[in-house]
Amino acid sequence: MMTLLRRIMVTCLFLGGAACNQDDTLTLSSKSIVYCAEGSPESFNPQIITSGTTVDATSNHLYNRLITFDSKDNSISPSIAKSWHETRDGKMITFYLRKNIAFHTTQYFTPTRTLTADDVLFSFNRILDKNHEFHGVSGGNYPFFESVQLGSLIKEIEKINEYTVRFKLYRQDSSFLANLATDFAVILSEEYGQQLAKNNTHQQIDISPIGTGPFKLKEYRVGSFIRYYRHDDYWQGKVALEQLVFDITPSNTGRLTKLLTNECDVSAYPIAHKKIMEHPNLTLEAVTSFNVAYLGFNTQKAPFDNKIVRQAVSYAINKKSIVDTIYSGRAEVAKSLLQKGSWAYDDSVIDQVYSVDKAKELLKLSGLENGFEMDIWAMNIQRAYNPNALTMAKLIQADLKEIGIKVNIISYEWATFLQRIKQGEHQSVLLGWTADHPDPDNFFTSLLSCSSVNSGSNSTLWCNKAFDNLLLKSLETTNIKLRKEYYSQALAIIAQEIPLLPLAHSKRYQARANNVKGDIMSSFGGINFLTVYKSEVGKE
Amino acid sequence: MAREKIYQEEEFPSPFLQLWQIFRQTPVAMVGLGCSIFLIVLAVFSPILTPHSAIESNLDMLLLPPSWDPSGNITFLLGTDDLGRDMLSRLMSGASLTFGLSFVVVVISLVIGVLIGSLSALTSGIKASFLNHFLDVVLSIPSLLLAIIIVAILGPGLSNTLWAIVMVLIPQFVHITRNAVKEEFVKDYVLASRLDGASSLRILRYSVFPNIVEKIISQATLAQSAAILDIAALGFLGLGAPIPLPEWGAMLKSGIDLFYIAPWAVYLPGLAILFSVVATNLVGEGIRHSLKLHKES
Amino acid sequence: MLIFTLRRLNLFFFTMLLLTLLSFSLSFLFPGNALLNVSGQINASPEQILLLSESYKTESSIFAQYISYLKHILSGDLGISMSSQTPISVEIADLLPATIELSMVALLLAMAIGIPLGFIAAIKHNKPADNIILSIAMIGYSIPVFWLGLLAILIFSITLPWLPSAGQISLLFEIKHVTGIQLIDILLSDNAYKWQAFQNASAHIILPACVIAVAPGTIFIRLARSSMLEVLETSYIRAASAKGLTFNQIIFHHAIRNSLVKIIRHVGLQFANLITLAMITEVIFSWPGIGRWLIDSIYQRDYTAIQSGLLVLSCFIFIIHILTDFVYAALNPMARDNKHA
Repeated sequence: MMTLLRRIMVTCLFLGGAACNQDDTLTLSSKSIVYCAEGSPESFNPQIITSGTTVDATSNHLYNRLITFDSKDNSISPSIAKSWHETRDGKMITFYLRKNIAFHTTQYFTPTRTLTADDVLFSFNRILDKNHEFHGVSGGNYPFFESVQLGSLIKEIEKINEYTVRFKLYRQDSSFLANLATDFAVILSEEYGQQLAKNNTHQQIDISPIGTGPFKLKEYRVGSFIRYYRHDDYWQGKVALEQLVFDITPSNTGRLTKLLTNECDVSAYPIAHKKIMEHPNLTLEAVTSFNVAYLGFNTQKAPFDNKIVRQAVSYAINKKSIVDTIYSGRAEVAKSLLQKGSWAYDDSVIDQVYSVDKAKELLKLSGLENGFEMDIWAMNIQRAYNPNALTMAKLIQADLKEIGIKVNIISYEWATFLQRIKQGEHQSVLLGWTADHPDPDNFFTSLLSCSSVNSGSNSTLWCNKAFDNLLLKSLETTNIKLRKEYYSQALAIIAQEIPLLPLAHSKRYQARANNVKGDIMSSFGGINFLTVYKSEVGKE
Repeated sequence: MAREKIYQEEEFPSPFLQLWQIFRQTPVAMVGLGCSIFLIVLAVFSPILTPHSAIESNLDMLLLPPSWDPSGNITFLLGTDDLGRDMLSRLMSGASLTFGLSFVVVVISLVIGVLIGSLSALTSGIKASFLNHFLDVVLSIPSLLLAIIIVAILGPGLSNTLWAIVMVLIPQFVHITRNAVKEEFVKDYVLASRLDGASSLRILRYSVFPNIVEKIISQATLAQSAAILDIAALGFLGLGAPIPLPEWGAMLKSGIDLFYIAPWAVYLPGLAILFSVVATNLVGEGIRHSLKLHKES
Repeated sequence: MLIFTLRRLNLFFFTMLLLTLLSFSLSFLFPGNALLNVSGQINASPEQILLLSESYKTESSIFAQYISYLKHILSGDLGISMSSQTPISVEIADLLPATIELSMVALLLAMAIGIPLGFIAAIKHNKPADNIILSIAMIGYSIPVFWLGLLAILIFSITLPWLPSAGQISLLFEIKHVTGIQLIDILLSDNAYKWQAFQNASAHIILPACVIAVAPGTIFIRLARSSMLEVLETSYIRAASAKGLTFNQIIFHHAIRNSLVKIIRHVGLQFANLITLAMITEVIFSWPGIGRWLIDSIYQRDYTAIQSGLLVLSCFIFIIHILTDFVYAALNPMARDNKHA
């Protein structure tokens, strides 16, 4: 690298002037990508978060998991574990690790060894073992793992030898492997953990991350940008990009402007799709993303602790017009949490119809026929499932005015927003969920189970024993037909109780300059720049 | 001059009338005055005049371009926004929010400011000197910054914004009234009425005010243009008018998200703000110009 | 000059006292617990709260509380931000230089364009040139700055892709934070792409600086025009012209110098105005400065940040104010005896 730069400097001295400067930009920008991201990450460790923004900004760049999803057919495929073996009863799973996987070398850490079973143990014990030195660091919450109840599933993790790890489970769980393959189940460095423990700076593990992924963290300025450099010893081979910069731009128009002026190469969640498609140097792409946008009621606060009020509100909302306005018709109206592509999708679930009269009737039944005042929390950033929550909230505001409910719209910066939702400060909220893996359990357990109330990913704070039992039963079997039956019953309970009102299923969009090649998005999980490069044409 | 003022009751409108004589001879200022009157009429009667509702959304008519565009619709003269609300109606209702409220704000702060200013002109000593210093410090802080500070304390919202701007404008009126009153008080005609046995308050009411009213009006136009810009700026920053209200600055803010799809949602509110500020400034310039000519004549 | 300096120092001391008092009282005016507002430690454990309340002396009299607050400020402890939980002094040290850089460039632009135009208008008094310049000035200070910023992006970044639309520099360049003033930092760095980065940073600053400069620039036009008109009517100018000096000689040797001195006096006031405009412009151009940060803090109800941010910003404006007073006094001996501080 240095010699290359020096050579450029020398040529510059000889040629002088503008021609050389052009060369400079070319070398610098042809090996770098600026990605316009929609928000700041909450942490650099995906173990402790659930938000898609953080996953997009960290997981695939900094870390690897034991196993991953194949980008083509979404089947589970090897990553750090080159292979694995599952006993017939499904209660013991052994992973055989790859050798010579190097950790990042940075200003704050120099590894002396490659990845071993100790690192796998360290990463999972941090989550599972309440007495682990790092368990309580950064709050001690592991929302994803708490919501899938990993703690009550894994009996023990055993190190067989340096490169073999065995997970012993209490019971069979058909979504276990899928959960381990999600973006949250990353492998950290045990050696780095020890170094931090020695210096008594434990919290650094989530702030200055060390992983095995294709990029390492160089610099992060809160609310402004993240700078990643290439991890030169990456185990899957040389990464084409030298630099990956996340330009944090919460404003939708700001991201499009930067894309149009070439200040960004790739933009998350673009608006004005027509404008991008018409532009000669830009491409708009979409992937099917399993997601749902919903209006969640805080079922522990009045008046939404009353089922009838929730039903009344859900009757008063015109889903069809919301989907047409917000998604410009590029999404389907959600009937339930699941969408048509999912194997557990059930078309017979009763859909909530739009009926103002019915809503008024129910309000009268609940004794609130004179209406009331309520808060809707709407995020100010774009998500795949909801491109414009604020406008959506405005539409709902207009809908609910019809039945005499006055709606106040409340919004915060994304990280604060999630923080406050977690603390249950809201009355109702426009949120959504993007599946982390193809198993339908991911929608139910993470969003509505009792365990996710505690972990904070259940923004409705709704806890229903019968519902939870169905989810549990479904996980204990591998019989797809039986599982589907359980999930249909679960969906019926949601349609009756309405802890949340599903609104829409949408695709995930992204825009990029034409000279950026390679796959960035996938159906599940965060974005990935592993195979991305810029074509030689460079300046177009 | 002093001799004519003995018969004050017959004479007192005359400085104002004289000013008007000069003012109406300046065509630019008259255009400004016309525009201001137009805006005032709009602000008062907009609920009757608007062709559509400014707040209700119309989901069949989303993002219509202005009617001169081939795909525009004549019933929505200036197009619609992303919730199908008529831009023309929103701009008209916005006149009563941005322009009308700024007018109200100026009137309130004028009354309070002139009261404090003239009372303080009658006092002297340490109290006066302290006030003077305090005013100097407050006046050196730009009005918008001060308004942002006060909104930060009171919390965002339209009424808080208005109070903040009232508080920002009061010192300006205090300052100008105080100086003008002091200036008048040393003049001979005041001495004349004092010799007649009039009390200070009486002199203020009947002798001084008619002679300083044009200065205060000229300050009011400055305050008005600052108030429009401040209300709009706070609305733009999301600290002022709440979401559905068609305040021009807030409209501009929500228009930004449509910048590339519906540029008129950004152009039109901006033009409206510019138009009202220019109209106000033209009137102000006209008054100051006539004041100068009046003094010279 | 000594008395002048003493008087200014006295004023400085008095104003700082007022500002810190105001900022101190803000922690009580804001909703919530005053101790948390002033320290920002929203996630503190009960033991930490106890320690905090001891260090801020919340149990003692209001006066003792104020003194301990002053102590904290003087030791550079402005509390930690409620939303990001990082020390506010660190955040401000990161952001304030960017704002200074932007507003200084804008101030220079406004003066470099506004003052000559004002002089031209005065020299061509009551001629078409005067009227045209005055009309431009009128529109210039009537135009809302946020709208102007958007139009500038649309025209100069999108339609004519000449200038970048956001930020301080292309994020590809990695510049070490030394002074915080980007253009200086680039020159200090040993980056291989130094000149490239310098060009890039300059391109980034042009658009926001121009947008900020418009309104103060038009005020400089008016100031320059009226002060030049005033100077042209003085007796020494008439004496000079009676002596037989040409018009050009009078303008360039006498009038410009003397009217410039009068304008300098207003630079401090204009700077305050400029900082406000910069706050809004930073939001539009995502300039990583203190204005954008402060407005974000208001959105997030980060009271600690608002309180300390306002204190630092107003102190900064006031210091500039006093500095320009000194420059004015140095240039104009008559001002030194002015009784009014």
